[in-house]
Amino acid sequence: MNSNKQQHRVLTLLYLAPTALILLVFIIIPIIYTLYLSFFDWNLIAPTKNFVGWRNYLTIFTDPVNQKVLLNTLGYIGLLLVLNFVIPYVISIIVQFFIHKMQGVYKIIFFIPSLFSLVVGAMVFAWIMNPVSGPIALFLRQIGFTLPNWTNSGGLAIVMLCLITNWKVFGYNFVLLLTGLGSIPQNLIDAAQVDHIPKWRLIWDVVLPLNKSMAFYVLILTIVQGLQYVFTPINVITQGGPYYGSSNVLYHTYLNAFVLYKTGNASALAILTFVIFLILLFLEIKFVEGRDADAPI
Amino acid sequence: MKITTHFRKTAFLVAFLAALGGLLGVGGASQVQAASKVVNISYWHVNAQTQGGAAVDDLVKNFNKTHPNIQVSAKYNPNMYQGLMQNLQSAQASNKVPDIVQVGWAYTNYFGSNFKYLTPTAAQSKFDKNSHFITKNFTKRTLSFAKDSNGKLVGLPYSLSTPILYYNKTMLDKYGIKASDLATWEGVSGAAKKIKAASGNYGLYIQEPGDTWAQQAVLLSNGAKIIQKGKAAFDSKKGQAAYQLYQDMVVKDKTALHTPWAQGMDAFVNGKVAIAYTTVAQASHVKSSVNFDVQAITSPHFKGQKAVVPVGGSMLAITAQKTAQQKAAWVFEKYMYDNSSLVTWSKGTGYLPPTSSALKDPTFKSYVNDNPMLKPAIAQIDTAVPWTSFPKNGLDAEQTMIDARDKILAGSSVKSTLKAAQEKINEQQ
Repeated sequence: MNSNKQQHRVLTLLYLAPTALILLVFIIIPIIYTLYLSFFDWNLIAPTKNFVGWRNYLTIFTDPVNQKVLLNTLGYIGLLLVLNFVIPYVISIIVQFFIHKMQGVYKIIFFIPSLFSLVVGAMVFAWIMNPVSGPIALFLRQIGFTLPNWTNSGGLAIVMLCLITNWKVFGYNFVLLLTGLGSIPQNLIDAAQVDHIPKWRLIWDVVLPLNKSMAFYVLILTIVQGLQYVFTPINVITQGGPYYGSSNVLYHTYLNAFVLYKTGNASALAILTFVIFLILLFLEIKFVEGRDADAPI
Repeated sequence: MKITTHFRKTAFLVAFLAALGGLLGVGGASQVQAASKVVNISYWHVNAQTQGGAAVDDLVKNFNKTHPNIQVSAKYNPNMYQGLMQNLQSAQASNKVPDIVQVGWAYTNYFGSNFKYLTPTAAQSKFDKNSHFITKNFTKRTLSFAKDSNGKLVGLPYSLSTPILYYNKTMLDKYGIKASDLATWEGVSGAAKKIKAASGNYGLYIQEPGDTWAQQAVLLSNGAKIIQKGKAAFDSKKGQAAYQLYQDMVVKDKTALHTPWAQGMDAFVNGKVAIAYTTVAQASHVKSSVNFDVQAITSPHFKGQKAVVPVGGSMLAITAQKTAQQKAAWVFEKYMYDNSSLVTWSKGTGYLPPTSSALKDPTFKSYVNDNPMLKPAIAQIDTAVPWTSFPKNGLDAEQTMIDARDKILAGSSVKSTLKAAQEKINEQQ
């Protein structure tokens, strides 16, 4: 009995080992090393690293550029949540419960853009939306409007870059949410219909709670992956400009690390981002998942 | 001369072993063996297929065919000199550096103070005694482009470019503007106003990539200095006046377009901007994309001043660490400076060749005659100055200048922005 238990334990460890090793080498050690680097002033190749204590962290909060970038990041998160989570959710509910024809066609049409490279998408959008010579600008000019020069305004640039990301991510999130909605037991919905419960109440009280785990997954994906996806159009179109107006924490980390080679600043930013994501996850789990912690995620 | 201890040790060891081999009477055999051994070297460049990558492939292929003892493999690095420098950083961090690399001018000091390399002067005296390859092929001015802030030659100039003023002749003719009106920045500003008023189109676009090369040319052409005695010096009356004219065009008159580089050039080739101030390396792209008569003239200057432009492009630097690879890299480098190689390279990339003999080469001359937009760029080389490279924290300094440009073009006060930027750079020098 005892040896059986021990064998069981060894086997468990053995099965976990490959994943644990990958996690250790590619995630945990790099995070620890990043934390270590965040206390130094170093350029990746100089033979000596200068220890600077908390200075890199202090500059994050005192440097106006970093403050601007942090604010932009919040803006991105808000916008991405609406574009890549709320809207696909609403549309997937409409497709699942209000439209009965051509569901498969919608799925395919919405999904197609997520097969394309984001670099290609960014370049095509930059051309189409060129505020001076792009087709949309020319069309608007014909009918007496002008397209605002969005590359010169941080706010508009953020909206445009989020829209490009939206083009890429929308279909994927839509399909995920739709699959979640589709797996809700039909008998529950039938029962509600027999009881003549209005559709909006059915959705609010039955569908949304039952689809919570999928929605939760897409929500986290939207924030974490969205900020990473948006990196590509930033890099292709604005490079964070005008004057860091469209930069976010991830792009700014990249700029510090691989353009200016300020490894310390970049590491401090990366650690901060890591902590923010941790807090977000914690809040999510506590408040969204809190009531029924045993529910499968 | 940058010869590492490691290299010295290796050289000593090789010499010692050779002497030993000679003593034991096996020298002949080992030499034969060495001669038949193929040395592999890697060459890092930034030329995508659309930017002369095919020319690089041709040159390397031909070299490998004619030099059986050396095999060069070329590696393309995306995102121009910045991308190459990023990859070089990682390569150095993992101790796997390439043997010969293209280094953009803006990185001269950064490369010089952070990487191990063999200077061309050292390579020449080591592998080609009594040769005057460097002084024979390059003028003093051209060599000055590749020197760091201590005056040390870091690499050999390979591709040169200067900013030129492209203009949409069809549009200018329509509004009665002559090319001679564009000789001064004041004239350009006046022409832009005329065009805006008559057609609603923008008059001017000055390139805005991730550097301030073109903006520096504008300041220099008002007699301002970017750097003086190792310190930033652009916050002068002349520097402010130059930026003020540029800002007025963008912010007040709205006659100049302020947008990232790719969008700006799109607007020009689509006929929505009359004049574009950008590198000569764009000439073939511009020529093949427009459906109007496009021409180019030399950089404008401010009234009463001379046009001064910083040179763009890159140098070739030897990063090989072992003698055999260094020697092979030097042989390859010399091959790249053959007239025929340089002309192939120039045609493929749109850059200007760095040697005076290639500039005079009949094939190159006939190429220029077919592409007259290169002429103003060539004319400027004799008066061009090195790209500003600050001795310390140069990458940070360039970013500070980019930030200042973006702030000014968004409407911030020229005076206070330049002052703050200059102070920030000088704190780190």
